[in-house]
Formats: sequence, structure tokens, C-alpha cells
Amino acid sequence: MKSVYDCEIIDQTEVAPNVYRTRLIGPQIARESVPGQFVNVQVSRTTDPLLRRPFSVHAVDPANGIFSLLYVVIGRGTELLRHIRAGEKVSVVGPLGRGFDLGDSPATHIIVAGGCGAAPLHFLCDALCAKWGCESITVLAGAQTKDAVICEAEFRAHGVQVGISTDDASYGYGGFVTQLLEQYLRSLPAAGRVGEGSRIHDPQSTVHNVRVYSCGPHAMMREVARICREAGVSSCQVSLEKNMACGLGLCMGCIQKVKSRKSKVGSAAGGPNTRHPVLNTQWHYERVCADGPVFNAEDIIWE
Amino acid sequence: MGVNPNRGVSGFERSGNPETPNLSVEIGRILMKNPVTVASGTFGFGLEMADFYDLSRLGAITVKGTSLEPWQGNAYPRTVETASGVLNAIGLQNDGLESLISDKLPFLRQFDVPVIVNIVGHSVEEYAELAGRLDKVEGVAGLEINISCPNVKQGCLVFGTTPEGTAEVVRAVRANTSLTVITKLSPNVTDVVSIAKAAVDAGSDALSLINTFLGTAIDPYKRKFRLANITGGLSGPAIKPIALRMVYEVAQSVNVPIIGMGGIMTAADAIEFLVAGASAVAVGTANFVNPLAAVEIISGIEDYLAKMKITDVNEIVGTVT
Repeated sequence: MKSVYDCEIIDQTEVAPNVYRTRLIGPQIARESVPGQFVNVQVSRTTDPLLRRPFSVHAVDPANGIFSLLYVVIGRGTELLRHIRAGEKVSVVGPLGRGFDLGDSPATHIIVAGGCGAAPLHFLCDALCAKWGCESITVLAGAQTKDAVICEAEFRAHGVQVGISTDDASYGYGGFVTQLLEQYLRSLPAAGRVGEGSRIHDPQSTVHNVRVYSCGPHAMMREVARICREAGVSSCQVSLEKNMACGLGLCMGCIQKVKSRKSKVGSAAGGPNTRHPVLNTQWHYERVCADGPVFNAEDIIWE
Repeated sequence: MGVNPNRGVSGFERSGNPETPNLSVEIGRILMKNPVTVASGTFGFGLEMADFYDLSRLGAITVKGTSLEPWQGNAYPRTVETASGVLNAIGLQNDGLESLISDKLPFLRQFDVPVIVNIVGHSVEEYAELAGRLDKVEGVAGLEINISCPNVKQGCLVFGTTPEGTAEVVRAVRANTSLTVITKLSPNVTDVVSIAKAAVDAGSDALSLINTFLGTAIDPYKRKFRLANITGGLSGPAIKPIALRMVYEVAQSVNVPIIGMGGIMTAADAIEFLVAGASAVAVGTANFVNPLAAVEIISGIEDYLAKMKITDVNEIVGTVT
């Protein structure tokens, strides 16, 4: 259950230029978090900056009561966090939000990471390995440059297949990680047949039994969603990032347009909304912090 | 970690102990077990906060602004952090009155805490209808008339910026309900006292103030507004001195109870509002920063009274000199 905890920072390590991994002592968060959830960290003891900063849970070590965050120093909040020393305590609220659905039957799992979007996907990879076996998992990770590639060693340590792309072709495949995803999906057998020499672990797997999990820049995830839809993959989940004020579902600040399959907004009273015809019944806003941050890609109105 | 159960926060729980000061206050016919509620729009409908503490510990819960029909709210981005504050332009996204009655109030009825419903409309008729339909709903203790939201283009603040507009809405609500009526005032006016008086003359049992200050923020590199709505309402500790001044001025001029709010982060902040003339306070943006803020403030007020050997919180209301 979410709560407020004072967590001691064990250490902070720069794992790539301007990217830090922070390990904290937090037994409850380590034990209760699921992949895709986040915590809200108070980076300042003063009122400026006032708000907490949300970070996805990067890794957990429940046996030792430790969890980790992975973040890029991008503004005042992350700059302040970077300078908090080992041994100091920070106030952490969590675990928050809804995480990834790991599925309830065997499948081919593809993790698509863009830049620091790899942060929650390391935890996810860990959980998928534990549930379904590492052989069923492929990680595709993209970064702008070789220096910015993060978590490669962690992913490889699981024994999963790993494909790396860099925008500037300085390492791995030269191009976008979404192109790697397209190529990978094309290599999968069509429905009902298993291709010769297929890399698919599960012989029952086809493109229709593929589960995709993604986190990264908005434009990348929109492209992942399009590719998955057109390829007919069975499940594509994305973890969204928005500016948050509360992180608790209170303020309604971090909203995302979501398709109204049940016409939740605008038809509560039944029938067409004549009082406020401006209300749209095709979509409504959901809170990224409380209804997400993980959404089914097909539910999102991509803009 | 979490809430310390040994720190009593409710005057009622330990009312047998003569050393425990009385914390209960009355706002109209609403009996609050302590003088702390939460500001509308910073606490949802309680559901998300029930993991953090027993909601019965609060003096009252003031829920998110509710309209007759669902409102979709404004586009993203809706919030931006500023120096010791937050600008928001949510636009009163809410699921409407039917959802409040059928989905949200049943949850809140589990708790021993008065519920104040913040009502919002595009027209006087909508406010009147909301008041009428909520009048006999089980579990509603009072109505807070929101004529001060700066983020809705039609209605709302349009009424709250003139004494006449304020009086018209308050009269319409008063005529349709026997519940305690609280009018929430905007600071975005030249003379808040004249509007406060108009609300009281029109039948408001109490006043709450202040709502957020209209402001904006700009990205200097992109030369673009940071909020999709361009302007938003400023809350947080940045506004506390102005809020406190307005509460003091209004308290000097009216004879109804005031719920004071604006940047309260600590018990000391809350006590400032009480001695300025508020009978109760609302904790708002602080809920975002520290989910335990409201109950910690209740404990802090109790500790303050004990330390100062004051037996009843009402004794300090309006005592600033």
C-alpha cells in the first residue's frame, strides 16, 4: 500500500553521461512495487522547488530491502537529487500508479526502450524473466549515441536477446529502435506457422502471440503503437511520462486523452449531451499518475 | 514511517482527558471535530488519500468541484511549478453530479467526517439545480459555492468578481437548500470585503477564502506559455501572505465563520490563519507535497494549544493584535 517513507540513499552512480543510478533503502517499496510503478521523491527540504519529482522504479532487491532509481539530470529537481549524498535520507511516496500487465499465458515478450525509458524496463525484464523465462524475452534499446546507451549490461546479464540502436550509428544498428522493432516483427512467423530458423522461443508463438512493452519519448512510443497495431501483435503497453503535480491522482494535472470505449465522459446521464454539446464522447482524459502510467497503446489518442 | 497512531489528532478521541484541548469548531451547522479541512481540488473525493490515513481524522472533507454534467477540463499542460508555488489550469474536470452521488459519496459515507461538496456551474440556474439535488442527499453536510475558479471561461469567476453576481448565485443556492452554505471567494478582485458582505447578506452561512491567484508562466527559450490555458491559478506557500491579509480583512467585516486557506504547509501557518480570524482552515497544495500534511497540521495545532495552555481552539480565533 502506498505510503510516505524516509529512505536512506546508499549510493549514486553515474552510469552514462548525466545519467545516475541511485540505490535507496526502502523495504516496503522494494517488496510491494510492480514494474512500471513509480515513486515521488522530495528532492528539497525547502519550498522551492515545492513539488516532489516522480521516478519509475528501476530495480528492486526485496531480500535486502533496496530499490533503485535511474534518472537523467534534466532540470532543477534532478540536479538537486544528484547532489544528495550517500547516508542522507529523502522522503519517498510510493509505490504509485499502475504498472505493466505481464500476461497470463506464455508469449514472446519484446521490450522496447528509448533513452532513459529503459529505467522501468530493467525491473520489467527482471519480472518477466522470473514469470516466463528469459528465453522468451527480447530487449530492443535505442539511444541517440553510444555514450547514452544505458542498461545494456543489465539486460544482457539476464541472458535475454538484446538489440541496440543508436541514432548516429555510433553503436549497434544505425537508426531508430522502432526500425529494429519493425524488422524483428517481420522476422516472426505469420499466424499459424512457425518459421524455419525462427528466433522465437515458444513454438506456439506467432506475431499474434507477441507482447510488446515500451517506454521512451512520446514520438517513439506513438511509432511503437502504430507498428504493433499494423503488425497485429496481441498486446502493446506503453508507459507515459507527463508533468505531474501530485502524483497521487488528486490534481488531474497529468492527463492523457484516452478512447472512451464506454463513453465515460459526456454520457453519464445517458443519451446525447444536450446541455454541453461541446463534450466529446469519443475520448476522455485519464490521469497518467493514477490511471497509468502504463496504458494499453490501443487506448491512447496519439497526438 | 507513516502516521504515528499515538499522536492523537482528534479532540473527540481523547475528550475525557482534561489536558486535551478542545479542537472542535462549528461552520454553520457543520460540526468539525477539529478546524482542518482540505481544499477542493487537492484531495479528489478522498479515495486516493484513504491509504495514507483514516479520513475520519479530518475536521471535514471538501471534495473536488462538481457540476451537473461531466466536464472534460482543459488541455495539457495543466500545471506548472513556480517559485514556492504551483500554477494550475485544470478547468474543473469532473464526472458530474450523478457520479458524485452514485460513485463517490458511498465511499465517503464509510468515514465519520462531514463532507462539503464544492459546486460549480455555468449559470445561476445550474448552481440552483445542484443545490436542490444535493439538499437531501445522505452524507452531504454542506455546499461550497465555487464562484472563484479562474480557469473556466463561462460562469464561475464571472459571478465571483462582483457583489451583485455573488449575491445572485448565493440567493439561488440558499433558496434551494437547507444545508450549510459556504461561499468560496476569489482573490482576483479589487475589494474582497464588498463581495464577502454581499455573500453573507444573500444568505451564506460561512465563507471560504481564498481561491487561487490568476497568473501565468512563460518558457523564455520557446517564448511560449507553459499552460495550454495560458493563465492558471497560483497556489502554495507563495500566496500565503496575501491570503492571510484577505482573511484578516474579511474577518474584520463579517460575522460568519471563515474557512481560511492559501499556502498552508504547517501547523504554524494554520494557526496564523486562525488568529487572523478564520474559524477553520483548509490544507490544499500541501497535500501534493506531503500526503500526511493535513493530519500533521491537526496534531501540530493540538500540540500548540497544549503548550500554550489554551483549552479551546476557538479562543484563539481572531485574536491577532
